[in-house]
This record gives sequence, structure tokens and C-alpha cells, in this order.
Amino acid sequence: MNTIPYKHKMAAHCESGAVTSLLNNAGLDISEPLVFGISSGIFFAYFHKMKSFAFPTFIVRNKPGSIRNNLAKRLGIKFHAEKFNNPEEGMKRLDELLVKNIPVAVQVDFFYMDYLPEWERVHINVHFIVVVGKSGSKYIISDSYFPNLVELESASLRKARFAGGNMSPKGFFFYPEYIPKEIDYKKAILKGTKKACFYMLKIPIPFVGIKGIRMFARKIVEWPTFARDTEHLSHEIMKINILLEDQGTGGAGFRFMYATFLQQASVILGKPEWSELSKEMMEIGDGWREISLFAARIGKNRELGLDRLKELGNMLNGRADVEERFFRRLKNSI
Amino acid sequence: MTKEPSPELKLEIKKMIIETLNITDIKPEDVDDEKPLFGSDNALTLDSVDAIEIIMALQRTYGIRIADQSLARYVIRSVNSIAEFILTEQEKNNL
Repeated sequence: MNTIPYKHKMAAHCESGAVTSLLNNAGLDISEPLVFGISSGIFFAYFHKMKSFAFPTFIVRNKPGSIRNNLAKRLGIKFHAEKFNNPEEGMKRLDELLVKNIPVAVQVDFFYMDYLPEWERVHINVHFIVVVGKSGSKYIISDSYFPNLVELESASLRKARFAGGNMSPKGFFFYPEYIPKEIDYKKAILKGTKKACFYMLKIPIPFVGIKGIRMFARKIVEWPTFARDTEHLSHEIMKINILLEDQGTGGAGFRFMYATFLQQASVILGKPEWSELSKEMMEIGDGWREISLFAARIGKNRELGLDRLKELGNMLNGRADVEERFFRRLKNSI
Repeated sequence: MTKEPSPELKLEIKKMIIETLNITDIKPEDVDDEKPLFGSDNALTLDSVDAIEIIMALQRTYGIRIADQSLARYVIRSVNSIAEFILTEQEKNNL
């Protein structure tokens, strides 16, 4: 048996949670919201017609991998990362690192995390867990969605790391190999915030940021044209709730986590106005949660007429209005 | 240390859930304190839509915002866990 002494902690989101957990265990005292904010995690993009998606969808955070990459760049941290074509080699390499007492974050298909209840497990190829040891045929796992360390059969971990399909993990793993002794958090926070404001306000792509929320608001009435039947439409509308609340978003499409980031950043930067902005972001999050609930209700009750979809569109426009005002104020306060 | 949740608080929570979800065929006393609210073991068999309704009802009734969905999963798993969370949050706010 080889288990690395590891302090496990639950987190709101798997990628920011895994990054935070690895850094904390390597001796860096940083919170998950700070990791999220510094890496410009807050985001919005709406995809109406994309080859990779069979149905319109949206994202509320930057793309997988960006949290780690942006954080590394802004804090001067170096992560070692590897990908594999050969599962044997990928598993062997993981074992070698565990023998050296190096905890490793691995990308997996969420479905094979056998320690979670069956009803929670869906095929998502971009879940991150930290492997902290091995005992016989089982790996010891720190999963930020679970309250304590758990065991996972080697066969399940292998399937999870080498699952096929969209964004397949290909055995991807990473771990921190260098953490600077001195870190300029103030500079990193300001840079991360500036970039987030750019993504939300200025990026010249019509489906990203505030423009993306407005496009979503406009296009939601077209969703029935993509659906096979009412059942399908209902499922897709209810997915709005899942994407905002139930996929490790920290609640309200990451808005609550961003509010906590602003609160912590206000102390580090000595900017009391960011504490006020934090409260405002919490309220913005409440509005997103209302959207979640509304979508879940109309989906569940099959109330999917044009009037209901327009109502949903109006709620989304409301979020676009408040977020536009919010990010302008945030940008001006940097 | 957090005190033990009272039977009154647990009853209040059961009433809140039943009213929020507009359930007409189950009485608060039918709901078990410890058994999972999600799944088929309890009188209430709730789903993920009900979960978000309960999260928002907790915010309205007790002023508690469960921002973190992974935490929410554990908070709203049973009447007892909800009651314990309310007490813990109330104690934090009184500090």
C-alpha cells in the first residue's frame, strides 16, 4: 500500500478544486475562489449551431484547462502535464509518480467514479480527481465532490482515464512541479479580473460574454425547432438548470464563487468597493438561480409554449443587463 | 459545538418542503428524519428540480444561501442533515 499523506477538502468545482487541493497540499495557501478569479474563470458563451453540439447549449466558465494554465501564468507556478495514447503506459506512469509520493490530478469520465451514487453519474469526460495512493488493485482518490478520500478499482480508473468520445481524457494528468516562494497576488488578481472583464464585455465574438447572454435570450424561442418532440425539448430546457447548478459550478453558474473571489480580493487589494461588488455579484447569482428554477419547472411540467420561452428569454436579458452594468463597474475599479 | 436539532425544527423543515413542493398526499409526520429525501426509501421521493426548489426555500425561510452545489448535495440529503446545517449556519451568524 502506498498512500501519500493528503489533506482532502470538498470544493465547488472539480478543476479549480483539484488545482487548489494540489497546491494546498504542496504548501501554497490559496482558496478555490482565488484560483477561479485569478484564472479568469467567470465566462459565458452560447452555442446555437455548432458541429460539436447536437442541440444549442451554453457554458458559464472558461474552457477546461484554462484555470490551470491561466493560474500558472499569473502566479509563476509550473505544472507538469502528460497525455497518453497507450493506456498501459498511462497507468504505469501514474504508478511511478505515486511511488515517488507525488499526488496527481487526472482527467476522467465522471461516469466511472463508482463511489458516487449511480443516479449522479453521467458521461462527462472533463472531470478532475486527485490520485493520492494505491492499495492493491485500488487507487486512493481525492474527489472534490465527495466528503472524504475514497477508493476506486484500477479497472474503473483506467476506463475513466481512457474513455472515448468528445474531449476524451487520453490519460491526461498534471501536478505542480514548481511553486515560487514569493507570489504577487495583487498583480495576479488585477490581471485575472481585467481579462474576465474583457471576456464579458469586449471580446469581439457575438456569442461570448454579455453578447452571448443576449443571443441566448433571443434564440431560446427557436429551441423547439431543434427538438425531436416535447420530451426532448423538456429534457434540454431542464438541462439549463443542470448546467447552471449541478455541474460543479459552485451555484448559479459560478457567479457565487466569483462573488467570494471578489470578497477575498477586496481584502488582499485593500479595495472596500470590491466587497460591495461581491454582494452585488451574489444578488446577480440569485437571479441566475431563479432562471435555473424557472427552466427546471417549465421543463418538468412540459410548459414549453412560446410564451414560457419568451419569459425565459426576458429573464436572461435581465441577467445580461445587470451583468453588463456590473462588469463595467468592476473594470472601472481596477 | 452545534446543538442537537429540535423536533420542532425538523417538523418546520418537513412542512417547508411539503409546502414548497406543493405535495398534497403526504403529511410532515410521514417523512422520516434520517432516510434520504432523494430515492425511494422515504415517503418523499424528490428529484433534482425539487432540490433547487428546496435550496431556494431555505434561502427565503432561513436566510441561508447554499452557494455550493456539491455542498448542497450533502445538506439536503435528509431532514436531519438540513436541520444540522441550519443550526451550524445560525451559530456562525451569531458569532
